[in-house]
Amino acid sequence: MAAGTPACAVRAPRPRPVARRLLALVLAALLAGGCATQSASLLAQRPPGLPTRVELADTPFFPDDSHFCGPAALATALSAAGLATRPDELVDRVFLPGREGSLQIEMLAGARRSGAVATVIPGTLEALLSEVAAGHPVVVLQNLGLSWAPSWHYAVVVGHDLEAGEILLRSGPMQRQALALRTFEHTWKRGGNWAFVTLPPGRLAATATEAEATAALVAFERAASPAAAATAYRAGLQRWPDSYTLQMGLGNVLHARGELAGAEAAFARAARHGQAAAHNNHARVLLALGRAGEARAAAQRGLAVAGPLRATLLDTLQAIDAALPAPAR
Amino acid sequence: MKRFQRLLAVLLSASVLNLTAVQSAQAALVSTEEAARLAGAAQSESGHARLAAALARDDVRAEMLRQGVDPTLAHERIAALTDDEAARLADQIDSAPAGGIIGAILLVFFVLLITDILGLTKVFPFTRPLR
Repeated sequence: MAAGTPACAVRAPRPRPVARRLLALVLAALLAGGCATQSASLLAQRPPGLPTRVELADTPFFPDDSHFCGPAALATALSAAGLATRPDELVDRVFLPGREGSLQIEMLAGARRSGAVATVIPGTLEALLSEVAAGHPVVVLQNLGLSWAPSWHYAVVVGHDLEAGEILLRSGPMQRQALALRTFEHTWKRGGNWAFVTLPPGRLAATATEAEATAALVAFERAASPAAAATAYRAGLQRWPDSYTLQMGLGNVLHARGELAGAEAAFARAARHGQAAAHNNHARVLLALGRAGEARAAAQRGLAVAGPLRATLLDTLQAIDAALPAPAR
Repeated sequence: MKRFQRLLAVLLSASVLNLTAVQSAQAALVSTEEAARLAGAAQSESGHARLAAALARDDVRAEMLRQGVDPTLAHERIAALTDDEAARLADQIDSAPAGGIIGAILLVFFVLLITDILGLTKVFPFTRPLR
């Protein structure tokens, strides 16, 4: 199976003491016998709502039989999300010639630079298949070798057939690889159960936790235009309306777009969480709106809980006082 | 050649300085990444700042230049990482054994900066796929 798909992914170095590694090996050997697999329980008792058969047949395919599985898998997922991309455009962003592979964090960063929100999903088969059932192809990291002799590989899950116990992948040179779910589970587990989806701003991964989705949206803001980031944050806030970080993000990108009224509303909601950063940004926007009195009150509230942001809030207060007429101080 | 190297050094320092300058220019508003970091477990210094500090070291810079690393590409790729991701990379630098710090910085950066590490350093127990 590994033939034709050489190692083409790179895992970042993670120093691990030899003793702990040996222990892990021994434990793994002890546990390997009696452990029930996820695929077995999934096939025995199908989760409600998960269709028996799914195939996202329209997902494009970029064949690769060398070390470019990273760019190929990413281009597959991005194109399926409506962001037409070719693997060769991604090589300069995610490929390391010296290591003949692609790093996981650069796969995520590369997706963002192409205009997609890249979200890591929970490392369970159920989440993986649910995501595909929601119409989102999933990029997975597999280890086609052994835990101590790894052969890393990126592929894209595009479907499953629970009746046949198979998972469908775009993988290396194979346009439609039907792999036994059990085999896939082992190769995926050896890759750390790592998987992510790439979606255009405004759409959210079906299964992502609030923490992962928030991390993905904040990271997207770094690479995206303020307009795209605003769309992305709004979608996140629809699902998690009380999120402090998402409100802050929306406020910041609206401010960057010059939409001060919208930014003010977002920071006002964020400020309910009692964070100094929210009070500071709220005060800045109120000042820009010419509401210096309210701005001063907001900055004072921030200063009371400033912590490491003390200097920032003092700056803000100074700017407000400079704008206020003398008797109002 | 000497002059060329000096020019590269200037360019690289400029790009590093630029990285930190961009962050302080937006200091009036607290960025989303910083707000999220402050709201969560407080981390003393940002990942980008730590990477920039590592990159600014003379010995590291000299070695990168000797290896012919393209500073622009390096800058772009590092800027595309979130602060959290940059912090994780910086952690790998920090956890290097004493004395091996330059090797570790180079290792982490060369992983990002398109140069094969093997042969340059053996600080990390790198797991390379067997062929």
